[in-house]
Amino acid sequence: MVETGRADGRNPNQLRPFSCTRNPLNRAHGSARWSQGDTVVLAAVYGPKPGTRKGENPEKASIEVVWKPKTGQIGRQEKEYEMTLKRTLQNICLLTVHPNTTTSIVLQVVDDDGSTLQLTSFVSAAVAISCGVMENGAVILDTSKAEEKQQLKSFADLVFPNSCKSVGLKEPKQKDEQIERGLITSITHGVMSEDDYFNCIERGLAASSRISEFMRNTMQKDASEAA
Amino acid sequence: MAMEHLRWRPTVNERDFIESALQSDLRVDGRRSFDFRRLDISFGRGCVFVEWVVIIDVVAVSFREDGSSEVQLGETRVMGYVTAQLVPPYRDRPNEGTLAIFTEFSPMADPAFEPGRPGESAIELGRVIDRGLRESRAVDMESLCVVAGKYVWSVRVDLHILDNGGNLIDAANIAALAALSTFRRPECTVGGEDGQQVTVHDAEVRDPIPLTIHHLPIAVTFAYFGEGNIVVVDPTYKEEAVMGGRMTATVNSNGDVCAIQKAGGEGVMSSVIMQCLRIASVKAADVTSKIRTAVEKYATEKALKKVKRLPASMSQKTNAPDVTMVDKGDDKLGSQSVETLSDVQQISKDPSVVIEANDHEDAKPMITESSTEVKTTSSSGAAVESDEAQEIRSPKSLKDAIKPKHKRKKRKDNRS
Repeated sequence: MVETGRADGRNPNQLRPFSCTRNPLNRAHGSARWSQGDTVVLAAVYGPKPGTRKGENPEKASIEVVWKPKTGQIGRQEKEYEMTLKRTLQNICLLTVHPNTTTSIVLQVVDDDGSTLQLTSFVSAAVAISCGVMENGAVILDTSKAEEKQQLKSFADLVFPNSCKSVGLKEPKQKDEQIERGLITSITHGVMSEDDYFNCIERGLAASSRISEFMRNTMQKDASEAA
Repeated sequence: MAMEHLRWRPTVNERDFIESALQSDLRVDGRRSFDFRRLDISFGRGCVFVEWVVIIDVVAVSFREDGSSEVQLGETRVMGYVTAQLVPPYRDRPNEGTLAIFTEFSPMADPAFEPGRPGESAIELGRVIDRGLRESRAVDMESLCVVAGKYVWSVRVDLHILDNGGNLIDAANIAALAALSTFRRPECTVGGEDGQQVTVHDAEVRDPIPLTIHHLPIAVTFAYFGEGNIVVVDPTYKEEAVMGGRMTATVNSNGDVCAIQKAGGEGVMSSVIMQCLRIASVKAADVTSKIRTAVEKYATEKALKKVKRLPASMSQKTNAPDVTMVDKGDDKLGSQSVETLSDVQQISKDPSVVIEANDHEDAKPMITESSTEVKTTSSSGAAVESDEAQEIRSPKSLKDAIKPKHKRKKRKDNRS
């Protein structure tokens, strides 16, 4: 696919290189720094703290998300991100384990080169991919800021759950075979055809398995070191 | 929901322990009374270097993120970010730019910090840094004027406190200075028929210009214990909770006092204050040199990276980073950080296609028994077609970092 040459030389199915640092902060109960290409996000988690906010269901744990942009006032865009993440995380976490508590997650954008919303889902052990539809109809993965601004007709932010791989299984399971992996969150910007959208979902699914593999390796390393 | 119960209060035992240790001139983390904690300054994307194996085409890397710094002073971590905008100036200063400092006490730094309106300590911090920078005329405002009376550059410094390990003022000040030192504003020319039209040039067209900084005002914070008799520099979070009073002196390396802040607390004798100011100017010289070294190193790396490499005719994966070990000065912990520099020799001789990478942060040994940092890197993995090799490197011991360097250096000498 040489025609759809992207600015940084990637082919349409290529993700930017990603890396992760765990527990860089001392005061926070848990923290992670995740970078994908030039986008870097730092996340910290505190909790569970006693009590829920007004209006939240006391039978379940509630999650509070604070998104801090790199500069400028907190506006509607940040509030939207917070709300999206909160809903995504509520789906993933087992909320009945700690009823009437609040877990707060604070996200700081350290560097923004597109796909920031996706990176912040890393904390929650879900995998998010940003897919874009270019002018000529090709679908590209993991959009950078320049691409998002200029070239894309539309793009979709998708969040997929982690691929299931149980530890106890002896026989090697085919990746994603016979496992229904649904879509947790999907936010689209711009106009795209249905086919394009489903195309995005498929590509995103494939890419997300890569990322979740990486995450699993990271956490296994951590667990074996802690042991 | 009040977060009061989340603010950490020292127990009686802890308070007694810290105070009685100080009576014998011992600090809980093993430092001497007038020692700063270890200072790490990193810039923009200086923390994470990624390895790219690009076989087909060359990618020119441009550092777009100027003016972004991250400072770690012991356990305290602060991020500074500088941006600039063209705005009309204040009416009483038509030919001067403006400088504004915004501090964010992020809730990630401390569970007691709440998002939203800044508390007193946040405002105090902002004011102290502002006084030190603006009123001492550290940054030249007149050079920020583009068209007098109509357009000036308004520089905005955002300081995000990421981790509260004590002594936020000093760390935030260093972050602001580091960010301002590496910030580049776009060049603009005035033209048009009436000489009023300003064209701002893109970074690709004309190199952006650095700010003119006359001197670096360094804040040094002192904590007083035991009715003003015992003084320590750079208090940790626990020491701050136990201290009787605090004073911040902003001094530059010329020995000028730019600002002093002592807001209440215990009464301290004036002779002690004078002694503190003398200590502060010594410390300021030390910190200034650290900041300058870090800024220069970053500037060199950037300049080297800007050199465009030709496409590889042999299309081999060549990877020859020049790994240098940098020893941080008065380093109690004794851990070193490994940094990567692009290879200067490679540029002229070998048109190789490499954008360097290495893990910057090794697993740092921390004094406290808290969690260690582990870094895992992965190069790009194609989702559908896996063209590239996926490397997952975990930080090994420093020995592994040293070995490749020695090997490669020999090869290079043979070639030249």
